[in-house]
Amino acid sequence: MAGNRMQKIGSVFTRTRNLLRIGVVPKPLWFDVYAAFPPLREPVYRSPRPRYGKVKDVVPPVFYPEDEVRARFYRAYGSGPRSFDLSQSNFKSTCQRFVEKFNELKKEGKIEEDRLFEETGKALLAQGIILQRRGTEKVAQPDHQDTQTRDPVLRMRLQTVLEEMQEKKQDQFIQLPAVRMSNCFGPG
Amino acid sequence: MAVPRLLRAAAPRLYSTVVAPAPARQPRDVDDRLITEPLGHPDFFNVQELFSLKDLFDARVHLGHKKGCRHRFMEPYIFGCRLGQDIIDLDQTMQHLQLALNFTAHIAYRKGIILFVSRNRQFGHLVESTAQECGEYAHTRYWQGGLLTNANVQFGPGVRLPDLLIFLSSLNNVFEPHVAIRDAAKMNIPTVGVVDTNCNPCLITYPIPGNDDSPTAVELYCKLFKMTIIRAKDKRKQKEVFYDLQSKAEGA
Repeated sequence: MAGNRMQKIGSVFTRTRNLLRIGVVPKPLWFDVYAAFPPLREPVYRSPRPRYGKVKDVVPPVFYPEDEVRARFYRAYGSGPRSFDLSQSNFKSTCQRFVEKFNELKKEGKIEEDRLFEETGKALLAQGIILQRRGTEKVAQPDHQDTQTRDPVLRMRLQTVLEEMQEKKQDQFIQLPAVRMSNCFGPG
Repeated sequence: MAVPRLLRAAAPRLYSTVVAPAPARQPRDVDDRLITEPLGHPDFFNVQELFSLKDLFDARVHLGHKKGCRHRFMEPYIFGCRLGQDIIDLDQTMQHLQLALNFTAHIAYRKGIILFVSRNRQFGHLVESTAQECGEYAHTRYWQGGLLTNANVQFGPGVRLPDLLIFLSSLNNVFEPHVAIRDAAKMNIPTVGVVDTNCNPCLITYPIPGNDDSPTAVELYCKLFKMTIIRAKDKRKQKEVFYDLQSKAEGA
């Protein structure tokens, strides 16, 4: 049985067609189907050489006009209060609601451009979504408050651990009075 | 004089390249009509109704790898790059998927042997069970070098090789192109394969640009292939019965 194993020359179809023309191979099952429904690109081998010199990125980046609003939102408020639930296809995140509100207010046109951002924040607050600002001055206070309210159990455990450590240190002081006294009177 | 003749006679048994006897051809008009009728219609098996753009989007078929992993030859199939992640153009994927499913259906209609290949361990079982449910074959383990190219030695003389290879993931576990792609091109076997943004689509006869890593996407592909193959086989049985009855009616 003849065959053509040169996968780097031509496509599967051209090689089989030529073999059929010579008459050394019986017609395969798929030949007529390929002839009737050829693929969009002929499957010819191309050597994957890397690009040399300055590489131009042929694939365009995907950006939307709402991305500017989204960028400002994330810079001001960090990631929103509600996490993303990707299992639902119609899920609307806090950022998306912000963007929609922003576009609504912009279309109404009653508020100036500079104040549009704060107005959107206030509108969302009115709807019940609390947005915590990610500014540098306010970082310290919310953190303290948060740690105090967040994990009382953790705090209690830490306190007990610290108390135990202090008790152990006091025990050590009691056990080795001679050393401590000598150190105290050393330089003297 | 006699020696060369004896050597020539012994040669086939020495090298196990005995040619399988050609099947007895019965040139009947009905057989030809049975086989060539589907080629006339652009979508004989109506594979277009099996999937829609929304199905592909919900199954996350459009999500590619990061910009750095991109293969040069996948650039025409990529819609754009969103914050470093490649997004595959689903319009092109729809076209390619329709062609690939149509081709698979025709091969299954002509009683071709289909082999599912995937070296992705996460979906090995899924691919094997899909193949079993269609009544076709799957190979999701280590691919030995000479499975296609040295089949007569490995399996015995006169093996029938698969007529179509379907790749659910065209890379192996070290992110290199699967050896079976090259081997199928060598043995003049057409291939259908899901190519992600880091794969080489050159040698695959009917590539399907799409995500090959998400479970939802691979489940969608398996479901589509299974449905097309079963549909094609049922159509074949129907047509055989139809032509049988027709010929009996004509004969009687």
